[in-house]
Amino acid sequence: MKSPFFALFFLLFSLISTAQKSDFSVLGIADSLKANADAVVRLDKMDIVITSQRSMNIKVQRVVTVFNGTGLSDIDAYQGYDKSTSVKSIEAIVYDAFGNEIKKVKRKDFKDQSAVSGSTLFSDNRVIFLEYTPVSYPFTVVYNSEIESSNTAFLPQWYFLGGYAVSIEKSVLNVTFPNNLGFKKKEFHFSGYTINKTLDTDTQVSYVATNILAQKSEDLSPSHRDLFPRIMMGLENFHLEGVDGTAKTWETFGKWYNEKILTGTTDLSEETKTKIKTLVGDEKDPIKKAKIIYDFVQKKSRYVNIAIGIGGWKPMLATDVDRLGYGDCKALSNYTKALLQAVDVPSYNTILYGDRYKSDIQSDFVSMQGNHMILAIPNGDNYTFLECTSQDDPFGYQGTFTDDRDVLVVKPDGGVIVRTKIYEDKGNSQLDKGVYAIDENGNFSGSISIISEGSQYSSKQRLESFQPTEKESYYKKYWDNINNLKLGKIAFSNDKENIRFTEDIQVSAISYASLSANKMIFAIDAFNQNTGNIKRIRNRKNPFQVQRGYLDTDEIEINLPTGFTIEFLPSNYELKGKFGEYKTEIIKKENNKLLYKRSMFVNKGKYSNKEYDEYRLFMEQIARNDNAKIILTKN
Amino acid sequence: MGLRLIIVSALLILGTSKVNAQNYELGKVTIAELQEKSNAKDTAAPAAILFKKGRTFFTYTEGKGLVANNVYEFRIKIYKKEGLKWANQEVSYYVGYENLNDDTVKFSNAATYNLENGEIVKTKLNSEGSFKNKINKYWNQATITLPNVKVGSIIEFKYVLKSENLVRLPDFDFQYNIPVNYFEYKTEIPEFFIYKTLLVGNLKIETNAEVVLSSQVFASGYKQINSFYTSKDIPALNEERFVDNINNYRGSIQNELEKERYPDKPAINYTKTWEGVATSIYKSKDFGGELKQKDYFSADLKEILQKTDSKKEQLNLIFQFVQNRMNCTGKRGYFVDKGVVKAYEEKSGNVAEINFILISMLKTAGIDVGPVLVSTVENGIPVFPNRTVFNYVIGVAEIDGQKILLDASNKFTTPNILPLSLLNWKGRLIKEDGTSQEIDLIPKITSKENYTITASINPALGEIEGRLRIKKTDYDAFRFREINSNDNEDSYLEKLENDLGKIEIEDYKIENKTGDLSKPVQEEFNFKARNSFDLIGGKIFLRPILFFTDGTNPFKQEKRQMPVYFGYPGQETYNVFLDIPDGFVVESLPKPMRIVTENRDASYTMNMISEESKIHIQVTKEINKYIFATDDYDMLKEFFQNIIASQNEKIVLKRI
Repeated sequence: MKSPFFALFFLLFSLISTAQKSDFSVLGIADSLKANADAVVRLDKMDIVITSQRSMNIKVQRVVTVFNGTGLSDIDAYQGYDKSTSVKSIEAIVYDAFGNEIKKVKRKDFKDQSAVSGSTLFSDNRVIFLEYTPVSYPFTVVYNSEIESSNTAFLPQWYFLGGYAVSIEKSVLNVTFPNNLGFKKKEFHFSGYTINKTLDTDTQVSYVATNILAQKSEDLSPSHRDLFPRIMMGLENFHLEGVDGTAKTWETFGKWYNEKILTGTTDLSEETKTKIKTLVGDEKDPIKKAKIIYDFVQKKSRYVNIAIGIGGWKPMLATDVDRLGYGDCKALSNYTKALLQAVDVPSYNTILYGDRYKSDIQSDFVSMQGNHMILAIPNGDNYTFLECTSQDDPFGYQGTFTDDRDVLVVKPDGGVIVRTKIYEDKGNSQLDKGVYAIDENGNFSGSISIISEGSQYSSKQRLESFQPTEKESYYKKYWDNINNLKLGKIAFSNDKENIRFTEDIQVSAISYASLSANKMIFAIDAFNQNTGNIKRIRNRKNPFQVQRGYLDTDEIEINLPTGFTIEFLPSNYELKGKFGEYKTEIIKKENNKLLYKRSMFVNKGKYSNKEYDEYRLFMEQIARNDNAKIILTKN
Repeated sequence: MGLRLIIVSALLILGTSKVNAQNYELGKVTIAELQEKSNAKDTAAPAAILFKKGRTFFTYTEGKGLVANNVYEFRIKIYKKEGLKWANQEVSYYVGYENLNDDTVKFSNAATYNLENGEIVKTKLNSEGSFKNKINKYWNQATITLPNVKVGSIIEFKYVLKSENLVRLPDFDFQYNIPVNYFEYKTEIPEFFIYKTLLVGNLKIETNAEVVLSSQVFASGYKQINSFYTSKDIPALNEERFVDNINNYRGSIQNELEKERYPDKPAINYTKTWEGVATSIYKSKDFGGELKQKDYFSADLKEILQKTDSKKEQLNLIFQFVQNRMNCTGKRGYFVDKGVVKAYEEKSGNVAEINFILISMLKTAGIDVGPVLVSTVENGIPVFPNRTVFNYVIGVAEIDGQKILLDASNKFTTPNILPLSLLNWKGRLIKEDGTSQEIDLIPKITSKENYTITASINPALGEIEGRLRIKKTDYDAFRFREINSNDNEDSYLEKLENDLGKIEIEDYKIENKTGDLSKPVQEEFNFKARNSFDLIGGKIFLRPILFFTDGTNPFKQEKRQMPVYFGYPGQETYNVFLDIPDGFVVESLPKPMRIVTENRDASYTMNMISEESKIHIQVTKEINKYIFATDDYDMLKEFFQNIIASQNEKIVLKRI
């Protein structure tokens, strides 16, 4: 009872201070948010203020609690910048599990480095990021940043759930904009999530999302772009690197793109024009002319990405590509277009998402989109698309990088959305014809011809460029069911006219068949075994998809060793279902010969999570049957 | 004397340059070179370096001091599309010195040569294809992309790298993943500097050296040592599996400053012997100085020491204390960054800080302990004594005559278990008196993995059901912990189920994944396997060790260029106890097998007995050496081939 006054004061003081800290203590996080989560985003707040067509300010606050090392990548404490985007402030404060501050990171302690990556040779983009060594888990980072940009062509997406194994307690979006710029937005995949639109006027929009639980990554899932909630935003009147733009309709956007970005980039010297005209000669057919020019571009140029200023958006001049022999996708597409122009073949720049995973330009949301450019040449009612960055692709081939998706074709009188070429499942084929023999010691020798077409062509075409050691390891992996595989002669023929790739290969292997006592056992399907390697997934949540179907057909002649008789032969087998069809047949011929026939057809499709196990078992059935063994007994 | 030397050397230089003049000078590309369709010695090569020339010489500028000028000239032929990437060239250079001016890089003479209608057409590089990129605080990068490059082109370029850092000259690599037809490298070193030269790789090259009089750098004449290195037809070196670090085998010439001896000043010894290296590093404030500090942990240490009197236990407790308290910033090096005191307080530091704290605490506790300089696998093998070969520091303690290696900067290590990237040859223990001692970093103990399966076969359901126990010790335990530390149990089990041929796992238990890391990791669970045997024609065919059967040989290549690195000696044991189902008996069992390589470096045994309704299979595989010579490759390949053949022989059961 010595000094009650002080005690009271102290109590008050500590109450206040804990009240402040408790915001960032991990104790309050709901268990449901912690389940399956490496990190919980306590708050993700983005305030976008567009003050004019040429000025935008974005404030971001993120409060992220990290539970383990994997969760570090969810902190997202980084900010890119360039000549038109400046970072006004950036800072982070780290709190321990109880909400006590343990470190303050000021702007000067953030790392600043060039954002050049992968295939880009040079870019003036840079990034400022937080580099923090956790001293214990869990901990919480409060990150604040503010940027200002004169580029309003790309409004950020509200895409708070950026990956798997992270949950979101609360995410807030506030956008303020002048009512004359034509602000627009589009919501995606909101169902099943608690997301509220709290404000929607002609100058303001606000959203709040709460309690989004962490999800597990599962094989064959659609991209999280196509699963998770997000909002796309854009302006009808925007600004890009010193140029005002408009995107009310695809038509006006296309016109703008043509006039402001592409104009003047396709001039060529008279010398080059003459050269090209000579090259094309008397050819009249536009597609045949295009073929000659595409071949010329492929031999002359190579892909180099240099992104400086508006160069990131505006193609290099065709005269420069002509002189230097390199460029990025825009530059090479545009150069090809210029050459085509010289021989009166019209063609159009085409904007799209280039990716093995098929993803569309959002056709009902007019805005700058895409990450790649190809060239479209009108061909009857359709288009022939040219991938100008490739030195190998056959004319008009779209393989697996640009096929079957919505793209924007920029014509002089406006843009139009077009679907690119769809490769039919049955056309994605592989035809195997071969023969093998087993000798009395179980050794294997044989040869096979493999013909690949459609989308299967694209995975085989690259074999041509392999080094001998790469070829060796490719085939030893491809036939990893044949132990001790030794490769003999390997020959390829690449028929670009018909888009057909043929491999002719001789192989041998000692002890392919295993000998036990007086018996010999081996798998009859030596050349095309499906491993059925579809992962078991406990309680799958997401739907799954097979993006491209295919058809494999095999016909293999088998010469059995002399001095043995067949004790057991696998029976013929057939499997049909919604995922595809599979059939094998073994025909006994005279002289110890067998004929093995197999066909496997998988169709493309989208399926629910419930169907996954069925799919796995379908593939596993096939794998089992592919591994069916024959038993021989010594006479 | 001096005069004669000059004449001789002048003649020599004239002589050599005459021979080289036709082929190895920039700008003199020949039609024959442009017409070449493939490399004569390596027809598959996508490109080849027709020549690489290097020259290092010193210049003196008032106010700046001495600068090392490194001039490189290249001529490269492109044979295939995959070779086009050689048309882009990047050179990184250091700009993070505290007391020196930034390094600089300048490209020049860059051009592309093509053959058009039988004529040589030269396209020069101009500024639009040349870039400078500030990567970060420490590094800049100069980049060029050559114009007009196609299959068949020849490209040439030259660059000069200037540096005031004379301690280590830039390495001169002469082996790449494409062939090098010819290279030469010349260093012109004033007598005031003595460099130690190291030739890496096992290629034979020609070298010669001579002493000449010079006045290039200083007005008054002085002697200069000119060294010349050259060779022809250097084969391409490509990545292979089971290699510690390709740079240990890549042909390269390295130079490190050993001694500085100006006429009027006392000589400065940089390196010479391991002793010299040790003293010079130990003397640094950021090394020896930091090791002397010890007040900052007194209170914590006192508390630990109260718990036990045994030195060994004290060591373990201190190790665990530092390991738990400190968090590594991931930065390597043997010097401190912010200092041990600040690191201790902030609970985070670089490798040197954390291990210095450990060493100081152990020493204060009366344990015989010292710092060991180490080179990580990524950094390469320290063969010759010099300062720059090391990039990491650990501790070694000695108790009862036993050496214990210590690295507390990793969360999964224990005394005598180091991170795998440190299992690289030898380290150097530095003592306070400046002497040093070699410390072998390669583990002597064999790490073990033990798998015990008890299972029964259910032919009607096509299943094998049973229980599996897994025990992993030492480095195998370390690896397990490090790989799986962030996985939750569910995703780990998913991975395990898929790795083991899609078995179904239930009732999973694990011990010692965390907690006492010196104990083996032990896992135990029930399983159900669906695809583990074939029922053909009323007979059961199954592989002796079921889903653990090795399917493919890790060594597929026909030819090997580099030694085979395993890291540490290991042993795997499988014990399978199988119940034969009712109505079946053994028809045949695989032959017992024993394979032992020379010197017992690798061995494999499979034994099998069957009694009544049970079969017991035991398989043991041992790799007793951490690295095998390139010449042993065929033997290893065959060893694994035999193992696979043995494991794939079937047990056959037939109906009674």
